Amino acid sequence: MRTVVIGAGLAGLTASIRLLEAGVDVTLVSKGPGGLALSQGSIDVLGYRPSRVTRPLEVLGALPGDHPYAVLGTATVRESVSWLGQRLGLVGSPATNLQLPTAAGAIRPTALAWASLAAGDVRDHTTFAVIGVQQVKDFPAALIAGNLDRTVFDGRELRAGFGLVDFEARDGEQDPSPVHFARALDDAATRRRFASAVAAAAGTADVVLVPGIVGLDDPGAWDDFVAALGRPAAEVAMQPPSIPGLRMFQRLLDDARALGLRHVQGSLATGFTHEDGRITGIEVASAGHSKHIRCDAVVHAPGGFESGGLGVDSHGVITERLFGLPLTVDSLAGLTEPEVGAPQPLFEVGVLVDADMRPLGLDGPVHTNLHVAGGILAGAQRAREKSGDGIAVASAWRAAESILGGAR
Amino acid sequence: MVQRLSADVVVIGGGSTGVGVVRDAAMRGYRAVLVERDDLACGTTGRFHGLLHSGGRYVVSDPQSATECAEENAILRRIQPGAIEDTGGFFVTLPGDDPAFADEFLAGAARTGVPAQEIGVAEALRREPRVNPGIQRAVEVHDGSVDGWALVWGAARSAQEYGAQILTYHRVTEIVRDGDHVAAVRCRDVRHGEDVEIACNFVLNCAGPWAGQVSAMAGCEPVAVVAGRGIMIAMNHRIVNTVVNRLVYPTDGDILVPAHTVSIIGTTDVKVNDPDDTRVPAEEVQQMLDAGEHMIPGFRTHRMLRAWAGSRPLIKDPRVSADDTRHMSRGMSIVDHSQHDGLRGLLTIGGGKLTTYRLMAEHIVDAMCEQLGDERPCRTADEAVPEPHARLHKVTDRLKAREESRTDTRALCECELVSEDDFRREIEAHPEASLDDVRRQLRIGMGPCQGGFCSLRAAGVACASGKVDAEKGTKLLTDFIASRWKGVQPILAGDQVRQAALDEWISQGTLDVEHVPASTQGGVR
Repeated sequence: MRTVVIGAGLAGLTASIRLLEAGVDVTLVSKGPGGLALSQGSIDVLGYRPSRVTRPLEVLGALPGDHPYAVLGTATVRESVSWLGQRLGLVGSPATNLQLPTAAGAIRPTALAWASLAAGDVRDHTTFAVIGVQQVKDFPAALIAGNLDRTVFDGRELRAGFGLVDFEARDGEQDPSPVHFARALDDAATRRRFASAVAAAAGTADVVLVPGIVGLDDPGAWDDFVAALGRPAAEVAMQPPSIPGLRMFQRLLDDARALGLRHVQGSLATGFTHEDGRITGIEVASAGHSKHIRCDAVVHAPGGFESGGLGVDSHGVITERLFGLPLTVDSLAGLTEPEVGAPQPLFEVGVLVDADMRPLGLDGPVHTNLHVAGGILAGAQRAREKSGDGIAVASAWRAAESILGGAR
Repeated sequence: MVQRLSADVVVIGGGSTGVGVVRDAAMRGYRAVLVERDDLACGTTGRFHGLLHSGGRYVVSDPQSATECAEENAILRRIQPGAIEDTGGFFVTLPGDDPAFADEFLAGAARTGVPAQEIGVAEALRREPRVNPGIQRAVEVHDGSVDGWALVWGAARSAQEYGAQILTYHRVTEIVRDGDHVAAVRCRDVRHGEDVEIACNFVLNCAGPWAGQVSAMAGCEPVAVVAGRGIMIAMNHRIVNTVVNRLVYPTDGDILVPAHTVSIIGTTDVKVNDPDDTRVPAEEVQQMLDAGEHMIPGFRTHRMLRAWAGSRPLIKDPRVSADDTRHMSRGMSIVDHSQHDGLRGLLTIGGGKLTTYRLMAEHIVDAMCEQLGDERPCRTADEAVPEPHARLHKVTDRLKAREESRTDTRALCECELVSEDDFRREIEAHPEASLDDVRRQLRIGMGPCQGGFCSLRAAGVACASGKVDAEKGTKLLTDFIASRWKGVQPILAGDQVRQAALDEWISQGTLDVEHVPASTQGGVR
């Protein structure tokens, strides 16, 4: 069996690994580096509904029927997210949310996270030393500390102060990208120098919060940093490019490659061939010519509006880019509000699916061997409710399961 | 507790007219105070397409305005070059438009003294290759693009050097009369919740489309303002580097202005009752896109960044009588309330355009001098305003500066190349400023990401400065996100939908700003 997976985000990589583990041939087609650079390095299941959720699995069953979780079911979410957590060695479980500080000083619920992030859980600490780096502009230590300091969490008044270190990760560079900074900290000597600078600024709090840039490729970087610092510390994820998210991308891609993944990178899927209601191949734009990849099944995980998987033209017509799949709504009119406070209905637009993650038209599945996963699914306010990762993992898991078991 | 000030003249309205007036009055030796309910240049002046008129647009429809524009264009290039980019302009006959109009246009230009020269179609297309290749004729004029905020703040600083006081975020609540004469202006300092009373001999109502509301505060019959709302859309990139006008009698959607790193298409004209009605209706966006497509084939596939609407300040008031005409130009009108409402010491000015703001100011201050019996000639055209670089602005200026300091300074706003240092200086000098106020000075958040990446940085630097606490810093952040969304929401299409989804992901998904401990202050206006 030959499968094509489209999209190198959390959903595409999850589907690829599940299929590869079962011995299926997978070609992953991706236009860019995938969506994980936007991830926090954590796995959200459900954070708000709309009030703060502490035990996500207990409330999934109560979501409205058009929510992806209602189609996926609690058991699939539990099983798939737990599997991913174990594979990556994440801290936490889908049953209970961690409560992690953000780079704006909010407390963000998420289910699992890299140990370096989970160490900042406000359920475990009351006093925080937020240590910024002059050269890392996406980690506003004064604002983070100020907001934590005026937070009452579970009846506990948090306390936070901030410090600032001047640290050139590369000589003479005042405006490094987070990727360059993190790579510089993959070097043990640079990392120790950084740890001493942080230690000197950190005061006496329960936990030291630093920007999420302590190493990119070296999996031992964080433990080594904490050992050098000599006290409890945690990373805080920043706006893209998110280093903890990129670590996750790299790990999953490495795993998939080790299992035999064929990866067609930097290539946009531009079309498809089909016969008797089945997809027979995917057209891929590559340098100088178009390539046709024959397949027996497809997992389409291109993301939603942020990636261009879903789009709106200048006339306000909403479309699914590749297959022209039916969407819950196909006109922009009335889907956005001028006020920013409320969720924008636009971001819930997407594809409706059956239990096998096959896009539904009026007469059932559009193609019997086409499955979708991740941000393209309709019915969730992922950014507001913090549900995108769980939807991606569970839908990819289910899509792979359907391909392996034969669609029901 | 009321704070008391006194002045010879109080100028109401901090748009280009009011600021021009306060500069003019101060230069003539009057003790002048300007009051503005928001920041400077937040109304009509900050909500236009950025065109410095050559006068070409009016050579047929309004010859006197054409001449005034041409003269003022030359004056502004001399006295405020740093606010102006010398883009030049083309008037082009699009397919379907009458090519004979060009003859009428050229004749009008010659009569009105507007420099204009017909050039070959091939030459026009060589210089602006994106323009519709079906154009039939092209005329070159001296259009420019002008940064309304830079223009107004430059004039304001000049006024301050002459002793004028500029009170922003002061909303007028009453114009106090003493018998048949103006005695004072009462305002509310909206930032500090205090009342301010400014005793004065004269009030100049320069509130533009809000002039009716202001005149009513003096107990006069409200000046009849016809607020004509027009929308503008900023398109990513410089689709053209020359202002491109449609060579027809002035109509909707007939101009594309290169301004800084973007191109702005405008505009519509819809009568509205409330000058604060700055909605951007979907059908007007479609109208602009159709007009753009006609001018620039493929326009619809370009990325829109943002849309906004402004109200034209037209006055259609019967009190604008023959007696006033010596102080009037076509398109500008002065209402003398002593003649019509029995109130001495109050003049209202309306109409006009940004290009002629200095001339409008000259007219109304002349009228005031005459009523006061003062012989004080206008000098605003003779003296340049203080500017950091006394030369015409270039679109490449910022990139050049950034290239020079690239490794030593951090870019706070990468889209518009605003450095962290520039931002810090601005917020330390104006610790009460909102990020929108700072935006009008530095252009933060005006590029493709519309604040998606720089909002947090800006709030962070403000907090780190020690001048702003976390609660205020968070309000800076959330207010800016809200105000940026306002301009993006009407034009969601193509890559700007991707951007909006990404920005939502950053602010809500990653930073979870919705759940930062709430501010005790209100939301955005």
